Amino acid sequence: MDLYEFMRGILREQRWGKVLSSPLTYQLVEKALWLARKGFRWRATYLMARFALAQTKKAYTGEAPVVWTSAFFPVEIVWGLGLCLFSPEVAAAFITSLGFADQALSQADQKGYSRDLCSFHRCIAGAAADGYLPPPAALVASTHLCDGAPLLFQNLAEHYKVPYLVLDVPYESTPEAEKYVAHQLAQIWNTLAEITDRRPDIGSLARAVDYSNQFRNHLEAVNTLRCRIPAPIQGSEMLNYLYLFFAGQGHKEAAAVFACLERELESAVDSENRERFRLLWLHLKPYHKGELMHFLEKEAGCSIAFEEMSHVYWPPLDPVNPFPSLARKILSHFAYKPLEWRIAVVDALARKYQVDGIVHFSHWGCRQSCGGSLILRDALQEKGWPVLLLDGDCLDQRNEAPGAVLTRAQAFLEVLEGRKEGSGGIAEK
Amino acid sequence: MITGGIDVGSLSSEAVLLKDGEILSYSIINTGADARKAAEQVYQTALEKAGLQSSDVDAVVATGYGRLVVPFATKQVTEISCHARGAFFLFPEVRTVIDIGGQDSKVIRIDGRGNVVDFVMNDKCAAGTGRFLEVIARALELSVAELGKEGEKATRVAEISSMCTVFAESEVVSLIAQGVPRPEIVRGLHQAIAERTAGLVQRVGIVPEVVMTGGVAKNSGVVAALSQKLGVKVLVPQEPQIVGALGAALLAQKLAQ
Repeated sequence: MDLYEFMRGILREQRWGKVLSSPLTYQLVEKALWLARKGFRWRATYLMARFALAQTKKAYTGEAPVVWTSAFFPVEIVWGLGLCLFSPEVAAAFITSLGFADQALSQADQKGYSRDLCSFHRCIAGAAADGYLPPPAALVASTHLCDGAPLLFQNLAEHYKVPYLVLDVPYESTPEAEKYVAHQLAQIWNTLAEITDRRPDIGSLARAVDYSNQFRNHLEAVNTLRCRIPAPIQGSEMLNYLYLFFAGQGHKEAAAVFACLERELESAVDSENRERFRLLWLHLKPYHKGELMHFLEKEAGCSIAFEEMSHVYWPPLDPVNPFPSLARKILSHFAYKPLEWRIAVVDALARKYQVDGIVHFSHWGCRQSCGGSLILRDALQEKGWPVLLLDGDCLDQRNEAPGAVLTRAQAFLEVLEGRKEGSGGIAEK
Repeated sequence: MITGGIDVGSLSSEAVLLKDGEILSYSIINTGADARKAAEQVYQTALEKAGLQSSDVDAVVATGYGRLVVPFATKQVTEISCHARGAFFLFPEVRTVIDIGGQDSKVIRIDGRGNVVDFVMNDKCAAGTGRFLEVIARALELSVAELGKEGEKATRVAEISSMCTVFAESEVVSLIAQGVPRPEIVRGLHQAIAERTAGLVQRVGIVPEVVMTGGVAKNSGVVAALSQKLGVKVLVPQEPQIVGALGAALLAQKLAQ
């Protein structure tokens, strides 16, 4: 069973915002989820949904002060204070997967947000304007990787009239940069504690860092298991674990999800998977009802063997020195460096997972990922990898020509087929 | 062995029938509002021209945006692979194919065996495509077929800066109101299309021979402007509109073997 299919089945409601912002919804969905838990292909998916629902319910009931974090902020800081974390970018993907994005996006249009902006951010802005998101006690954003989030968060902080904290991350990874980031993290930790009236307990933070390490270790083990041919789990399924990547690191339940997935993958055999081609997926996937992922994985028989998002790029954290350690994690991100780093990582992943081709899903409005995509493509092609730059939008289907997206994807598979046959011929399905 | 290729495009549909690598017949019609019906009709016309029944055909490949609604197709293949295959069949030295169709444009890089190596598509808007030409021709009270000859009469070139179909139409109307001679406007139009297409070509790199396919290739003004812009002679097949269907019929040969 698909997680979002399950949710859509329950939330058949026109007034989506009211439904999504009601704690009662989450109580009911939690119960329904428990009843349906055996229908999920992976128990890990059920555990993630349970974790995400519990946190979302907590955010709406106000059981603990809510802190909004941008996608790449080190959330161990927030979990370490025992706060309630809300990731609006993940919420935007969730709203879209449930089929409610159009209304939030239209609201953002009416508020004057340019349609050139990232649809994750427009969706958040629209839902916030409608009053459907859990009110924050504070917002924190990091300046690295995504340039839209810090500015959107500033807008939202003004909207909610709450403090806004920014983590300024230098582009160059030097010992000075590490100290600078570590110092800011300590300041943010203390300020958040002050704002939310929490005692800044370094022991709690060390525990969060320890959970983050467990998350990392299990994810690495999952990634190793995914080297198997045929792929034991599809990339589109892994990209549904977005919540854990952006909001789970530092929480024991997130670590438990990947521990569970690790156990499940150890014994998983996907004998039905024909695996016509193995693909490496770069950047995110569409969360709207478009047919791309279904076409690739179900109709065309491809495996998304691995996705850039799941790559463990950072060294283990040191619970004794959490701030410098988290600073090192942030600064080690391969995509926040000259493009040669990303090229090297993608090339290594393509080799490790023995893929036939690489697809870069170029999400409309995402400068950090798409800005260098032409150089990335050329460099990878030079190394012998077939590369498809697929223009689309993760949330806003109005920015896509659905037929053209599928034509591009199909044509790319025809190129791969020709390479496999060595004759340029196109084999029958 | 007899095979068929059907290319159901946004503006026109084409069918080609091949027997052992020789074209038996072809047909071109407007797609209209019913792509399935257009596919059936264009195929039927090609069969009649060749004096064949559908049962005589061993395999049919459908291509184009309407490829999925061709019920009698043995297989669907994208227009990218089909244009590459068709152009390579007609010009074995081709390495770059420029296809400007009714609603999108593509540039395809192929290798010495006719394999697609890389491709780019512009499908965000109809700028520079057949639909664009159709709209502008109407504003100029010309048919699309007349544009090429009209442009040849120009001694100067009017500047058309907007490539959005709607805005370009307004710009053309303004130029007409200013009394700019029609041939100059047409020449400006051709240059604007060439400019935009050259940008697309440069994304995959210009490797001769360069062949242009699709209905817009029938416009000699666009071809000349593009040749000048790219600095290479752009080759055009005798009937550029059927290249996709031809490629489809060639690919069908492999299926029928």
